[in-house]
Amino acid sequence: MSIRIFNSLKWAVPIVIVSGVVLFFPDIFSVKDKDSFYVEEVKPIINKKCISCHGGVKQSAGFSMMNRASFFKKNDSGKPAIDVSNPSQSELLLRINHEDPKERMPSEGKPLSSKEIKTFEKWLEMGAPWGEHWAYKALSPVKVPSNSSWMGIFGGNKEKGNAVDAFIQQKLNENNLKLNPTADKETLLRRVSLDLIGIPAPKDIADKYLNSTAPDAYKTLVNELLKLPQFGEKWASVWLDIARFADSKGYEKDGNRQIWRYRDWVIQALNKDMPYNHFITEQIAGDLLPNPKDEHFIATAFHRNTPTNDEGGTDDEEFRTAAVIDRVNTTFEGLMSTTFACTQCHGHPYEDIKHEEYFQFLAFFNNTRDEDTVEEFPVIRHYEKTDSLQLLDLVAWVKKTATPKRADEIYSFLKFLQPLVYATHADLFVNSELYDTKYLVFRKKSSARIKDVVLNGEVRFIAQQRGNSKKGKLTIRLDSLRGKVLGQFNIPSTEGKWSFTPFDIQPVYGKHDLYFSYDNASLRSDTESGFTLNAFHLDHAFPGNEGDPSKKSMDSLYWALLRKNPPNTPIMMDNKPENARKTQVFIRGNWKVKGEVVSPGIPKVLSNSFNLTKPNRMGMVEWMTDKRNPLVSRTLVNRLWEQLFGTGIVETLEDFGSQGTLPSHPELLDYLSWQFMNKHKWSIKSSLKEIVLSQTYRQSSVVTSEKLKKDPNNRLLSRAPRIRLSAEQVRDQALHVAGLLSNKMYGPSVMPYQPEGIWASPYDGNKWKISEGEDKYRRSIYTYYKRSSPYPSQLTFDGTGRNVCNARRIRTNTPLQALVTLNDPVFMEAATHFGQKMLENPGLSVNDRIQHGYHILLNKPISPTLLQPLVKLYKDSKTYYKSHPELVKEIQVENPNVEDAAFALVANAMLNLDVIITKN
Amino acid sequence: MNNKRLSLAEEAHLLDAQLATRRLFLKQCSMGLGALAFSPLINACTSESNGSSNTLFDPTKPLLPKTPHLPGKAKSVIYLHMAGAPSQLELFDYKPELKKLDGQLCPESLLKGKKFAFIRGVPKMLGTIGEFKQRGQSGAWVSHYMPHLAGVADELSFLKAVHTDQFNHAPAQLLMQTGSARLGRPSLGSWVTYGLGSENANLPGFVVLTSGGQNPDAGKSVWGSGFLPSVYQGVHCRSHGEPVLYLDNPANVDGNMRKASIDAINQANKETYKEFNDPETLSRISQYEMAFRMQISAPDVMNISDEPAYIHEMYGTEPGKESFANNVLLARKLVEKGVRFVQLFDWGWDVHGNSTDTSLEIGLVNKCKQIDKAITALILDLKQRGLLEETLIVWGSEFGRTPMQENRNGLEMPFKGRDHHADAFTIWMCGGGAKAGTTYGETDEIGFYPVDGKVSVYDVQATILHLLGFNHETFTYPFQGRPFRLTDVEGTVIKPILS
Repeated sequence: MSIRIFNSLKWAVPIVIVSGVVLFFPDIFSVKDKDSFYVEEVKPIINKKCISCHGGVKQSAGFSMMNRASFFKKNDSGKPAIDVSNPSQSELLLRINHEDPKERMPSEGKPLSSKEIKTFEKWLEMGAPWGEHWAYKALSPVKVPSNSSWMGIFGGNKEKGNAVDAFIQQKLNENNLKLNPTADKETLLRRVSLDLIGIPAPKDIADKYLNSTAPDAYKTLVNELLKLPQFGEKWASVWLDIARFADSKGYEKDGNRQIWRYRDWVIQALNKDMPYNHFITEQIAGDLLPNPKDEHFIATAFHRNTPTNDEGGTDDEEFRTAAVIDRVNTTFEGLMSTTFACTQCHGHPYEDIKHEEYFQFLAFFNNTRDEDTVEEFPVIRHYEKTDSLQLLDLVAWVKKTATPKRADEIYSFLKFLQPLVYATHADLFVNSELYDTKYLVFRKKSSARIKDVVLNGEVRFIAQQRGNSKKGKLTIRLDSLRGKVLGQFNIPSTEGKWSFTPFDIQPVYGKHDLYFSYDNASLRSDTESGFTLNAFHLDHAFPGNEGDPSKKSMDSLYWALLRKNPPNTPIMMDNKPENARKTQVFIRGNWKVKGEVVSPGIPKVLSNSFNLTKPNRMGMVEWMTDKRNPLVSRTLVNRLWEQLFGTGIVETLEDFGSQGTLPSHPELLDYLSWQFMNKHKWSIKSSLKEIVLSQTYRQSSVVTSEKLKKDPNNRLLSRAPRIRLSAEQVRDQALHVAGLLSNKMYGPSVMPYQPEGIWASPYDGNKWKISEGEDKYRRSIYTYYKRSSPYPSQLTFDGTGRNVCNARRIRTNTPLQALVTLNDPVFMEAATHFGQKMLENPGLSVNDRIQHGYHILLNKPISPTLLQPLVKLYKDSKTYYKSHPELVKEIQVENPNVEDAAFALVANAMLNLDVIITKN
Repeated sequence: MNNKRLSLAEEAHLLDAQLATRRLFLKQCSMGLGALAFSPLINACTSESNGSSNTLFDPTKPLLPKTPHLPGKAKSVIYLHMAGAPSQLELFDYKPELKKLDGQLCPESLLKGKKFAFIRGVPKMLGTIGEFKQRGQSGAWVSHYMPHLAGVADELSFLKAVHTDQFNHAPAQLLMQTGSARLGRPSLGSWVTYGLGSENANLPGFVVLTSGGQNPDAGKSVWGSGFLPSVYQGVHCRSHGEPVLYLDNPANVDGNMRKASIDAINQANKETYKEFNDPETLSRISQYEMAFRMQISAPDVMNISDEPAYIHEMYGTEPGKESFANNVLLARKLVEKGVRFVQLFDWGWDVHGNSTDTSLEIGLVNKCKQIDKAITALILDLKQRGLLEETLIVWGSEFGRTPMQENRNGLEMPFKGRDHHADAFTIWMCGGGAKAGTTYGETDEIGFYPVDGKVSVYDVQATILHLLGFNHETFTYPFQGRPFRLTDVEGTVIKPILS
């Protein structure tokens, strides 16, 4: 990053003046002790005023302020910046106090304020104590504030609070505020349902709660909601933003990607409350677990959600590298709230993270088998039931007949098509070519090379190939076009279809360049293609003794399975040691300019003395989930909090670093994080339960002018927040109240109604084909997500692009959102059905019908002030529709009448009410 | 709308000024480097505040018009992106030497270390098939492919030596429009709308119009808002059906009933506001009013059929069809109405020579016919309306074409065509503070490399921002712990083309 942009900065004091009104921040960031003096007082000044010239990137005058030692090191002036034995004569103080503007620091901009200078003076007098940034400090048990300070002071609220409330009330006390009384039952029911399952509660659960007088009725409700399968659907939608999950590949044609099984894995894992440390272990390193099962591989698709580029002429290595970088950044931003991306080009400007450390971390990810190929190799193949049983039979037979190692090899190839050498590695083309930079095409007399193939005495060359000609002959030689012949064979025609075909080769050992030459006199011209190679697999002879009758049947089973083309899912899988990719630093972040070789490692400032024992993704995730690592649990707990309260305890979900915001309630964050790892054993459901059972969560959202004045932004939580529903919730709620929402779970993504002409990717034959039956009305998490053309209404309601990790959705409020909920046929259809529900009981008055609808929406009676405009709308529209039958006949019900039309319009209005679009 | 409602809107304005409801805003004020780097614009965040309320992202009025760093000459932009990359060697970059080399094998020295998208082995040089002439007072070279544009050459400001570092469409389009070859960054139009807001509250601030039957290769990300709030993404207006998605009422609702229902919604929402005092509710009331106004005004603006006949004649427009010409006329109407940024993408310029449509002899001629008259009309029309001075027109693509003939897959192509070329191509600007009748930059004798006045994609972006009044180095947004800007760490304003 350029230094220039930091130089012209002007700095703010934490007082905001807007329209002449002075707002004071609540005093929630006060200094606690000597240890935190550096972090809370000194470091912010350094970050604002000094670090752009004396940081991790630029070190003017040989002076950096990144770590304590550098303050005591002699810099270009020949002296260290500070001398604690003689603070007042320290160079640092002399320079910030200098009268000559040319000598004074900061060298550009205004001098430091007297308050800032005093802070430095005080710091030196204290002996320049260093402190660790709050987010990197290990977690330890946190003492819950004592009861006496907060018990019984919930404003008019007789309920007993829990530990969460103790922390919240402590801050409120400091500001002479109290929690609001508990929200009414109906409000709380809707709030907790939307939060836990994303949609209103099923009627039976809702009624049971509303009719119960038991003191623990609310707790029972929470328990029941947590058990519903819709829980996983709601929380998976949060996770999929981090995972940048989508159903397409990303660039140009943006073709289909089969990866929905990963989405289903997430839903299932959340529903069974898989401990979070396992949840991320399986996603990052499931393939490296002992005896991994299919679902462990599917979990690793987490990091195969990176965009890929199938555009002709692209450099696969460029996009492979981009994917690896994306995995590093996603792992840090999404799972550890740390911005690491800047160290791609240089040392971190604010944290003590070095440029090389980025690439050490990148090395964990840099050895995977994916290379931006069209087929998305490596994949896991999902055989149909009988086929997978046969595969197990085959593997068992090999194990018995040959060795367990042989059985593993055969299983690996049939299940993952690995190891496989991709033809995209070819070069030295003579009348051959990488067609569309994807497939190696051989013509009449042609040759090409594939470098560095490791041979282990295999005798079969199994080619994934296609061709139309029966006459071609392929010769493979070692290390030159005149080298030793590895194999020579006639290529059969596959009639233009891709097929796996075996050829015999000589057993050879060691790493060799393979030279392919192809000759086919039957081709009419030099330019006609004869044979196309996509990839090949080297294998030993099929196991079993000649004459063993079972060998023949097993051999044909092998080929039958291999040639099936079952659905698959892209996964993570590492290169074998002999093919391991080495990782080099990219000089200034340029992937083409490589520097020193590095091996996998964890940035020192974040290691918390963790001892890395496995230099692979498993080792990495062991560090992440080690209890000494505070980032993973803090990040998750903060995210849960943000989902419930609209704003995280740390507002910047994506950045806990010194440029992010400070936690509003640091002790609470640490308490919850500690509980999460220890008491709750990484259970997301238990943590959520602890929070939603608090009085803080249960209070009402009504705000008094006193609270508005003292806690204008509700950072102290003196009331419950009001939050606009998420994109998914807005649609799902409308379908739910209309009785349209399907409860079908899992499976390929679906295509609900979308206007014509939204998809128009070049060279892509895929079409948006509206799903049949209930698939039109599935929850939004199942909507097909094409990256180049996301579902329009979801994007309008702040859905994310799903191209890179998105740790936080920024909520907006725009007229285009109003147009969606008013006019999108999906919403009008829902309104029509909802209107019919209001009409379903004969003999009700209009008021009662609207009342009935409101009850479906919110489980409570409508206030007269809300009822009045809706009744008026009903009356006016009924009169109007009577004289406009052409509008009435457009209502999508059988034999529509004026009543249907008026209620469809009223229902449409009701679904647009602030109280409906908002979680109250 | 009635008085009572107006006073509510005023109340809303006051309230959200006092409350600044979004943490994001507070963060920018108290912590964010980016916003502070931007302090001339948001002096409300600095200690020297003069008390005026001028924030970049006010969540309740995200599109409020704002004043840039410096007074900019351009108030709005019409960006014409020819997706696929036309051949500068046929249109603007005249290379008589290349003609002499036609059919000869390309010297190895030119190929050494070069990577092409489709050229393999040793290709042949391909002489230009454009007939070039110097035009107007300025003597700018424009070929017979663009006969109308040749007549207004004195209005144009050519950059003849632009280079990029991407030679595939999707990443190159992303780089050109978002400053990064990877997905995920805000587009130029989003940055501009974020920085300047919009002059017309009844229309989107950033409108995208596409023609040629396909979206650009990089998909909707080229007008996406990336990490900026989604309100700044381009609104893709459509040629068929409703011009803005969901602008039309459902079939069972007409304008009167829509008005009645919005009245009912807003009446109820006012009651909700009284109960909860949530400023977001007030904002919602004004958004619904704005949606209604947009429903009324947008179809008019988007409808070109009521333009006079001479205008249709001038632009070559045929109302009701999806065409580039229609979009160009629409673009004029939109900037006239105060839309900040109008982005046109026209698909079908990828002249590889592998089919008639992609041939230099036929395909390129046809594509040029589709744009030549309309673009020329746009320039003249804006001029006659006195709008050219404050409207910046940019014409360009994601890269250029090679002086060699393409030999895809090592084969001879059925038609004359050229491969993607990242090292040198032509972009021109017009109006909005770009100096008329200039040519800046020069390529070597065959148009392969720049020899003078070489500028990068970032330089072009920096210049566009400059013309709008932004310092591209301080126009930032905080994301992932650092201030991001359109031009990343690059970019220099191209001063020779400023008027």
